[in-house]
Amino acid sequence: MEEAIPLFQMTGVSKRYGGVRALEAADLAVEPGQIQAILGENGAGKSTLIKIMSGVVAPDAGQLMMHGQPVSFASPAAANKAGIACIFQELSLIPDLSVADNIVISDPPKRFGMIDRKAQRRVAEEALRRAGAEDIHPAALVADLPLSRRQMVEIAKALARNPRILILDEATSALTAADVTKVFSVLKRLRADGMALLFISHRMNEIAELADVCTVFRNGRNVATYAAGTRTDNDVVEMMIGREYSHVFPAKPLRGEAALPPVLECRQLSWTNRLRDISLSVGAGEVVGLGGLDGQGQRELLLALFGVLRGCTGKVLIDGKAVSISSPVTARSHAVGMALIPEDRKTEGLLLPMSVRENLSFSSLDRLSRWGIIDRAAEQIANDEMLQLLEIKTAGLDIPAGALSGGNQQKVVIAKWLMRNPRIILLNDPTRGIDVGTKQELYRLLRRLADRGASILFYSTDYDELIGCCDRVLVFYDGAIRRELAGEEMTEHALVASALNIPGGKATEVRV
Amino acid sequence: MERITGRMPRFLRRADPAVATAFACIVLLLLIGSLYSSSFLSLDYLLLQLKVASFLGIIATGMMLVILLGQIDLSVPWVIGMGAMMACAAAAYGPLGTALAVPFGVLCGLALGLINGVGVAYLRIPSMIVTLATNAVAQGLMIVYTGGFAPRDTATDAMRWLATGALIPGVPNAVLVWALVGGAMVFVLTRTGFGRAVYGIGNSERAAYLSGMSTRRVTMIAFAVSGALAAFGGVLLAGYASKAAQAMGDAYLLPAIAAVVLGGTSILGGRGSYLGTVAGVILITLLQSILSVMQLPEAGRQIIYGAVIIAMLLLYGRAPASR
Repeated sequence: MEEAIPLFQMTGVSKRYGGVRALEAADLAVEPGQIQAILGENGAGKSTLIKIMSGVVAPDAGQLMMHGQPVSFASPAAANKAGIACIFQELSLIPDLSVADNIVISDPPKRFGMIDRKAQRRVAEEALRRAGAEDIHPAALVADLPLSRRQMVEIAKALARNPRILILDEATSALTAADVTKVFSVLKRLRADGMALLFISHRMNEIAELADVCTVFRNGRNVATYAAGTRTDNDVVEMMIGREYSHVFPAKPLRGEAALPPVLECRQLSWTNRLRDISLSVGAGEVVGLGGLDGQGQRELLLALFGVLRGCTGKVLIDGKAVSISSPVTARSHAVGMALIPEDRKTEGLLLPMSVRENLSFSSLDRLSRWGIIDRAAEQIANDEMLQLLEIKTAGLDIPAGALSGGNQQKVVIAKWLMRNPRIILLNDPTRGIDVGTKQELYRLLRRLADRGASILFYSTDYDELIGCCDRVLVFYDGAIRRELAGEEMTEHALVASALNIPGGKATEVRV
Repeated sequence: MERITGRMPRFLRRADPAVATAFACIVLLLLIGSLYSSSFLSLDYLLLQLKVASFLGIIATGMMLVILLGQIDLSVPWVIGMGAMMACAAAAYGPLGTALAVPFGVLCGLALGLINGVGVAYLRIPSMIVTLATNAVAQGLMIVYTGGFAPRDTATDAMRWLATGALIPGVPNAVLVWALVGGAMVFVLTRTGFGRAVYGIGNSERAAYLSGMSTRRVTMIAFAVSGALAAFGGVLLAGYASKAAQAMGDAYLLPAIAAVVLGGTSILGGRGSYLGTVAGVILITLLQSILSVMQLPEAGRQIIYGAVIIAMLLLYGRAPASR
């Protein structure tokens, strides 16, 4: 029996970013009139897949086909033209323009070279109607709409291009349950109209309700495609993990039941709707991991502790004493002794055009100066010490930091903080985009620092790392700590299950 | 041996192509000038040019500090005028006023610069707006003060001596003052934590902030210094001309910015050396001198200024194509 040609097909598609493999010979077939869910861990290759489909990045190898004809998309506009529209996780609307302006922004109807406002309004009304959002006035300003309504405009904007394939990349993550129901009924109607929908979500219940077909990605490959409802949640989690351990982790110290004296504590820390009542404590010599899916409030917690976020409520205690950390200046002060290894080393951690020397001592200038004048001899000694401690490979202290490899750049970021001998070290996904060798050096370094008494709060999107490095892991979901895993409970299965907020694994509920 | 090779990159980095280009242009201008008149290469002429350049040099020093932060100070014209007028005005208040004329003028500039700094650093108003506004305020204040006419007060002897005297025979004091100010700025930029912070903020304010720098304080101080130096430039100009005049600072805004940028300092901040600013100042001064020797009208001079600046920016002042 001959198989029908799918609407869209990709075969053997690969993509690398530098040394990191994002997609490896991935295959995908998309059929009309179906909702296909894409599942996978952080970094499994879902985002890359979508970027390739929507023309944002070009694949290194492999073939894309529409109706069996090979196609290649030079730009998102080309993908749009071929009938693929994408709704990204971050909203792409311009707040100061009207709803109608936004809907037709890429291709406004024109008359005599000017935008035809009447036609624009007609197009917008039609698109809003298809999106099931007739109640939104086309002339309303996007900035005046609540988040859920904006999401509807976003969908209308995608529909205005008359796509054959609609991709939703965590499009529901910003919505409340009531809004999700509305969006779902729209999606179901679009499916009935014969549109193909690709749906990416981390919410298992949404996938269960919506999807016809599920495809699981792992390590840049699609490992399984199955009809929805034929596998249990547990099976799915197994499929998402199933990968070999590739890292070597240093041994963790054995601890008795005696609680470590808490160095850093926070109580009911909240910030807008991104952090909800976070209470935790980190003892001296302890490495505490922050787990969960990306974007559940882990980064915000680190920034809040470091005094970067305005308007936090709750208490932070250092050595049992309440402190008010209003800026990084206070956070790094002797009384607090905190260090933050930020998320993006290129814009937040380093001053790329400046020399390695200037970068290394940048956070410690107050200690290396007398009357504001830098003591060059002391600076040299401190820099040499850090170069040795972290084995930073550089052609000299005077070359720009931007000339170093990613791993060595990250070492410079860490070194510049270790120079201050911090007691509390916050790390925001420090191993992203660095090579395996450097990663292992970092793991050993973290453990060494902890053994010397530092308290470490470690956020990572890599579950292996959390299990291998941390004494405990706090799993975040939707801005709150949902689970605390320690010792034997820290399995990849339990981590993934609690990250998806489904019951499973032997985890203890956190007492708040 | 290893020490020497370790220092090589630093030496190479110092030979910034932008600075080298600026110096090459200076030589070129001198050659062109010598075609018109052989006196162009005489020591007297060169010292005179250096003296004229020193006023711009002092003003551009402050401007450079602000540009290194990635900001701009457009209040320079009337801060110059205010510094000059206030110093001359102080001279009317007896011997004490005469003695304190110079510091008083500088202090007025410092105060206005501080307002700029607070506006930019703490109130987060774009520097282009806030400095333009303080420029207008300073202009208004000075017009109220003088009643719309040129002020009658004349410069004190100290001001004249600073601008036109010669402590070391043959070397004008203005040049010495510029050398002192410039030397201090080089020291601040290369040897102090403040200088590192300025470069750091110019490169990435976020990274500097997350490193625990008091970015707002540094920004505020930089603007205050820029105001003080502009006013000091005004005080010296008043000493040079023996009196303050209404719009005496107007001719210094574009040259000050141009000198800094032509010297290779990135208009986006974070990159640039004082040596480059020195080259830029001399370049601009020579350009002005040659244009006046050629007896071009003011309008033509302005057009050539602008054209040269655009040409230089096309050569090396642009931001990298992709970030």
